Amino acid sequence: MYILPKKESLRMIAALAEDYDLYGPVLQDVSGEPLFDRAMDPADVRLDAAITYNPPKGVLFPQSERILSYRYDRESRKASIRRDDLVRPKALVGLRSCDLNGLLCLDRFFLGQEYVDDVYLDHRKKMFIVANTCVRPFPQCFCVCTDSGPSAREGFDVNLTEAGDDYLFEAGSDKGEALAKRLGLKEAGPDASARKGRIVDASIARFDAEATENKAWISRVVNRITTGFIGNEVWEYVGDQCFECGACAFVCPTCSCFNIEDVASGEGGADRMRSWDSCSFEGYTRMAGDHNPRKPVEDRRNKRFFCKLSYTQSKKYLRPGCVGCGRCARVCPGDIGLPNVVTYIRRETTKAGTR
Amino acid sequence: MSYQTGVCNFCGTGCGHLLKVNDGAVRGVFASPGHPVSRGRLCVRGWHIHELLATGDRITAPLVRKEGRFEPVSYDEAVAQAAERLSRYSGDEIGFLASPRASNEDNFLMARLARDVFHTNNIGLASDQGHGAAADVLLEGAGMPAMLGTLTEIRKAGLILVVGADITRLNPIVGSEIHLAARNGADLVTLSSRRTQIAELSRKHLWLRPGTTKTALAALAKVMIRQGGHDTEFVRNRTEGYEAFVRSLETIDLDGIEAGTGLPLAEIEDLARRLSEARSAMAFFTSGIAGLDHASVALLYDLFLAAGKIGREGCGVNPVTGVCNIVGSYDVGAGARFLPGYRRAGSPDPGQTPRELLAITPTPLKAVVVADRDEEIVRHAAKIKGLECVVYIGAYANAFTDFAHIVLPAATFAEADGTYTNAERRIQLNRRKVDPPPGVLPAWRVYADIAVRRGAARTYASAEDVMADIAASVPAYSAVTYPKLEKGFGLQWPCDAAHPEGTPRLSVEEISGKLKFVPAAADFRAPAASEAFPLLLMAGKANYFWHTNNIMKKTHIPKREYNALLLLYPKGFVEVAAADAAKIGVRDRRPVNVVSAGGSMRVAVRVSADVKPGTVYVPYFIEDMVPGFLNAFGAAVDEDQDSVIPVRIEKV
Amino acid sequence: MNDPNARAIVTVPEIAVIDEIKDEIEDVRTFYFSFENQEAGRNFRIKSGQFVMCTVFGAGEFAVSLPFSPENDRLHLSVRQVGKVTRALHELRPGDKIGIRGPFGNGFPFEEIKGRNIIYAAGGIGIIPLRSSIVHVLRHRKDFGRIILLYGARSSKDLMYRYMIDEWQKIPGFETHIGIDRAEPGWTGEVGFVHTLIAKASVPAKDTTAFVCGPPVMFNSVIQELLGVGLKEDAIVSTLERHMKCGIGKCQHCAIGRTLVCTDGPVYTYRQIKTLGEQI
Repeated sequence: MYILPKKESLRMIAALAEDYDLYGPVLQDVSGEPLFDRAMDPADVRLDAAITYNPPKGVLFPQSERILSYRYDRESRKASIRRDDLVRPKALVGLRSCDLNGLLCLDRFFLGQEYVDDVYLDHRKKMFIVANTCVRPFPQCFCVCTDSGPSAREGFDVNLTEAGDDYLFEAGSDKGEALAKRLGLKEAGPDASARKGRIVDASIARFDAEATENKAWISRVVNRITTGFIGNEVWEYVGDQCFECGACAFVCPTCSCFNIEDVASGEGGADRMRSWDSCSFEGYTRMAGDHNPRKPVEDRRNKRFFCKLSYTQSKKYLRPGCVGCGRCARVCPGDIGLPNVVTYIRRETTKAGTR
Repeated sequence: MSYQTGVCNFCGTGCGHLLKVNDGAVRGVFASPGHPVSRGRLCVRGWHIHELLATGDRITAPLVRKEGRFEPVSYDEAVAQAAERLSRYSGDEIGFLASPRASNEDNFLMARLARDVFHTNNIGLASDQGHGAAADVLLEGAGMPAMLGTLTEIRKAGLILVVGADITRLNPIVGSEIHLAARNGADLVTLSSRRTQIAELSRKHLWLRPGTTKTALAALAKVMIRQGGHDTEFVRNRTEGYEAFVRSLETIDLDGIEAGTGLPLAEIEDLARRLSEARSAMAFFTSGIAGLDHASVALLYDLFLAAGKIGREGCGVNPVTGVCNIVGSYDVGAGARFLPGYRRAGSPDPGQTPRELLAITPTPLKAVVVADRDEEIVRHAAKIKGLECVVYIGAYANAFTDFAHIVLPAATFAEADGTYTNAERRIQLNRRKVDPPPGVLPAWRVYADIAVRRGAARTYASAEDVMADIAASVPAYSAVTYPKLEKGFGLQWPCDAAHPEGTPRLSVEEISGKLKFVPAAADFRAPAASEAFPLLLMAGKANYFWHTNNIMKKTHIPKREYNALLLLYPKGFVEVAAADAAKIGVRDRRPVNVVSAGGSMRVAVRVSADVKPGTVYVPYFIEDMVPGFLNAFGAAVDEDQDSVIPVRIEKV
Repeated sequence: MNDPNARAIVTVPEIAVIDEIKDEIEDVRTFYFSFENQEAGRNFRIKSGQFVMCTVFGAGEFAVSLPFSPENDRLHLSVRQVGKVTRALHELRPGDKIGIRGPFGNGFPFEEIKGRNIIYAAGGIGIIPLRSSIVHVLRHRKDFGRIILLYGARSSKDLMYRYMIDEWQKIPGFETHIGIDRAEPGWTGEVGFVHTLIAKASVPAKDTTAFVCGPPVMFNSVIQELLGVGLKEDAIVSTLERHMKCGIGKCQHCAIGRTLVCTDGPVYTYRQIKTLGEQI
């Protein structure tokens, strides 16, 4: 571990900016809201910003992007296809532990299983990750319920932990070590690990009083969700409140469902666009010919939480599908973010029970 | 920073959003957590507005029809032709159809063009009748011709009454605010003839017999007064017209109320008591097509006035507009028979809207200027085809241009500065974020150029300049400036010298003079079923309004979602309760004839628990249905949620 | 690709040319194609039961089973026009180009079922995905026991592969029972739903694997009948269909409970289908 004085952090970010496109928490110019976005100026990256409203996954898995384009001229019968080169070196600076865990889930999903997803791989190559320990929770957080924070344990090149006027700078890879050397950072003393441990413990201790919006006793429902021992009335109760907007999937760091559309671009050409999709939608599973195996909204809600919390997702991601970021609860028009749903399942809350 | 603040351009909620702009194009959208109304939420449409903005299906060049075919022409020639050809018409030969989605700047100059250059008051929006009714009532009753409450106080309402509106589908985030308020203890009651999501989320759904909304509202008032639950001090000190209101309720027969409305008297008494005892209360309804008519709005307003639930925190009678700038369009004088600032358009001719003129047979209309038609129903297709001069101005390709002689492209809301006023009178500024296609201008510039061509002296350098003219013409906007709008999340009008930071809601302390009870010319007779026509047909729109919306077709995911229903019933459907379907002997998706005294139509059956036995429902968008079947009932369906047609359904 | 032995075309489609088009039954056409790039063509090796993602330029991509045998069979797709992309496909003519990604999916068992009796129970266009296995097995029929085809459709007009079935009926050892729902003048085959053909064929219960493919109603009745005559749940095999976009297990449109149909399937045993965690 090394010491990075806080007033030197800009120097670190600027060093990264020389070799990478810079992404991090940036304050929106009009409203001041923190968003995870491209930073054209290293000084724009705000390590002290609150958890960003949008998930950093958008850097590797954009809301909408072209993955290839083709042109077909019916008269000459000539077809050509061109794949977009999406590889750019990217530095993600200030990634919260929950979001980094989400990214690792996406890695395991997109780069593992039967096939490697070439598009995600392109985005993922040449990436430098600076994680940022949460020394205090935000009101929406519950990473302590999902074993995904407040400090990252793996997956980073550098992990920063705020300690007084400094950051404790942990190198998690050769690239991280190289950066420390390049910046000429002093080594932290032998008690640095213990010091970090105390800071993390102090953060955890603050959850009760400060992370008040969401609590989710997830472990208590994982088994029930996996085995399907949840009455349909509970899902109907949840489904009644679903506004079918798709937002829970859009803001979730581990959601990766996408849609593909070929969009005409003129003169026989088309762009193959990949964009965020959500299993909340009725049309998500509808087949040509109109059979829809997952039509009722309560079935779709069931599916979402099965996907997030059951054992099979744990096996696929090597951890629960939820990282405790709290974004779904904030963005939901219906008040059925994951923590609430977990509570309804535990209490078997149904329509009948509340009328 | 890729994410730039803006306002969603779909429904009248006016949610804040952040458009992601990279390399000169909109690539994404995110919800804006700081926005006071939307507070970080969007609906399926709002979450995909970038798909609409990315469409290549645009009108990109001015066109003039020569010998039946469109030819591209220069902008100057198109403007010159429009100016010259339109000038051949006067009086009721010419009309202007404004778009409720266009900006205040666009619609203000379209209205100026109509009145100052073509000397006509024949301007209106497609969704006139409904919102016009709400504006009329609230203007007369409270001097504030739009939502009296504010969306940001929904969480302060003790009781929320939703009348008819399928609010979670039409204005999802308003529906969300209402739902969350209910989860935090507000008493939520829905009064409607069809089961909707908000009805299911309500503590109580008062499932009304179709056509009896007015009767139910009048009964509520009568019961409340009988219980002594009206706010006597408020009524005495702050209002006038109460006695006449009470007398107007004499014809309501409370003993027969259940037979009439389907609601037991006990339930009406319970609601009346709750309304009176609530610390605050709001009523929501939709305006626009299939919203409440004048009498219904008046009764609702009078009820809340008697209950003392007007002009206080957490209170209000709140029309919710279905399109982003209906309110603004009325504010700046593009609504029927209102000049800018809600002065009545004068005599001798206050004007008729193109819709009204086309409804006359034979129509006097010969020329019409149409902006960005959103709705697909071309009710009077044959008559429009016969017009001599149709000028169409819009951003997106639209089948309506088949009728046009001159077409001019317009910039989208992301390609031009403009303000939009949401349902709660919040004037919000959208800044230009990307360039329009080469040569494409904002619509207001097109109107200004046509005006100049016709000799008008006034020119405008920018949208901000147009706003300066609006501020000078519309008293409620007199203190509005772009810098002020940009500082926060817009300002709610009246924004004038007395209220330089705007007015969230009507405040009884600020009203000089009295609030007035508005006489409701209510016809309490409800259409009845008969042996020949044993079912009552309701027509409505709800989320189906978005199905065939021209702009929805240019998206991917919203189009897929709305098609999920439409593709199952490609020729349209009539919702029938399971018991009735069994009686008729039909199953889901089977074709039937729906027969009324005025015509018939053939559609598929959709078995649904959202309608009670004895009632059936069609979404008004079904094309075959409109000319043949509903036209026979004239404007009734347009105006009024209460319009009900007795029908029978026959197996085919 | 994580499996070193397979070489699927994953992200960028390979361009293929339509060599010939044949009209089959109503709304169904067969498109014979070959890869523009010869090497891609040589490397395109499939298993019965796999599928590809076919790009119709300008319209989009759709998932379609591969009906040709893994050996010595012309590459082709038999497609019913039912949505936007398949309708655009039907507008194409010989010489037009399409794009192919794949082959994807787990495929039907072949080696594993050598020595067993094989039943193919198909309804309507459900026979199309089974054709690959049927042709493949017939070519190696010495390695199998009884080979039985039970095929039914609503009417004689709805029977796919009439020309091929006539040939098949001449193959010794291949027992074919073809039925239509209602009698028609001139029809000499069976009359009745597919599941009624099971008893007529006296199908064996031991050492038998059954392939079932058809509309949901037929599927259920056939399965019940097969279980009734004694087949085991893991000896009944089917291929599931789902809305698909990526074909490589990433977009998750095809998810059913724990499984992704495009990679774990589309071929599943009845036992697996029962425990997927969601209705099919």
